[in-house]
Amino acid sequence: MNHQPFEDWLLEDEALTIQQERELQIHLRSCTTCAAIASSNLALHSRRLIAPPPGFTDRFRPRLVDWRREQLRRQALGTIVLVLAGLGLLYAVAGPAMLQAVQSPAAWLTKVTTYLLSLFTFLSVFGHVGGILLRTLPSLVPPSAWLVVLVAGCALGALWIVSMRRLARAPQGV
Amino acid sequence: MKDESSLVVQAQHGSEEAFTELVEAYQTHVYNLCYRMLGETEFAEDASQETFLRAFQHLHRYDHGRPFGTWLLSIAAHYCIDRLRRRRFSFTSMDQDDDGGGLELPDADAPNPELETVRHEQREQMQSFLQQLNAVDRSAIVLRYWHDYSEAEIADTLHLTVSAVKSRLHRARRELGSLWQEEGIRSNQKRRPHESPAF
Repeated sequence: MNHQPFEDWLLEDEALTIQQERELQIHLRSCTTCAAIASSNLALHSRRLIAPPPGFTDRFRPRLVDWRREQLRRQALGTIVLVLAGLGLLYAVAGPAMLQAVQSPAAWLTKVTTYLLSLFTFLSVFGHVGGILLRTLPSLVPPSAWLVVLVAGCALGALWIVSMRRLARAPQGV
Repeated sequence: MKDESSLVVQAQHGSEEAFTELVEAYQTHVYNLCYRMLGETEFAEDASQETFLRAFQHLHRYDHGRPFGTWLLSIAAHYCIDRLRRRRFSFTSMDQDDDGGGLELPDADAPNPELETVRHEQREQMQSFLQQLNAVDRSAIVLRYWHDYSEAEIADTLHLTVSAVKSRLHRARRELGSLWQEEGIRSNQKRRPHESPAF
């Protein structure tokens, strides 16, 4: 039996014209397959919302309170673990230095001063070399290369902005 | 009820009272979706409570440009779909515990009780057929017919394209139709042995 276009009309389940409705009714008298889809559609249209048993909100409140309590407990536990880990790390890293500072303050002070002086010297030499490079490099690189670097930088920047916008879009649902 | 958007804002600032009002307003919609998806009142209650709890936890993610009800039903639908998927892989099927204890009863005060009884039977039958559909198809059908969602709204709720929703609804209606037909044939066969030999 040819079910078309009646089967499509039923599967689309959209409003039909009076003429289409008449043709469909004639087809349904002789086609059990389409009649079953029509009956099932009719049952879907006679649906009814089911409400929860009374007191749903009252049953929800304690669950929310329990969840909040659990959140607080986890936060407190997290803070304690973080503080303890921080103290442990501090003890492991700074413990020997503090012990040395307490035992012989003069030696410790000399060591720290030497370290700071060498760091300062390194930084000033690094700045000096950097300055020389900055003054000489622009004249060595052709302008077309600078243009390529600029365009590549702009493209990467645009890509970063687009990616951040997509990632930052608030996800819906959970 | 106060203005919904102001309640949502208050709830986002941590007001449990405001959120409880929202629960009150949407409990039937959420519960109905969960019941249609999971098929049992006990699971529906648990899933609805979990939906509201997840909504409260993730309220900061709610986009005010979107209807709050759609957002809630989206959480409920995804939760139920996940639960059904887990159920499929679990060894002990929850269906085995089915006591058939839905709360849907025929309306005794209806003007035509006979017709109401037939409709009630049809609804019960539809509920059992729904349980045989794929979880996503099932949620699309429930949102379409029980919650009057448009195809675009269903797409938004289930994170699908509109054409995917159309094809899922199409497929689900075809499946429901064939289940309906099979059931018709089965009930005719059951009736036949009791019929008079003269027929």
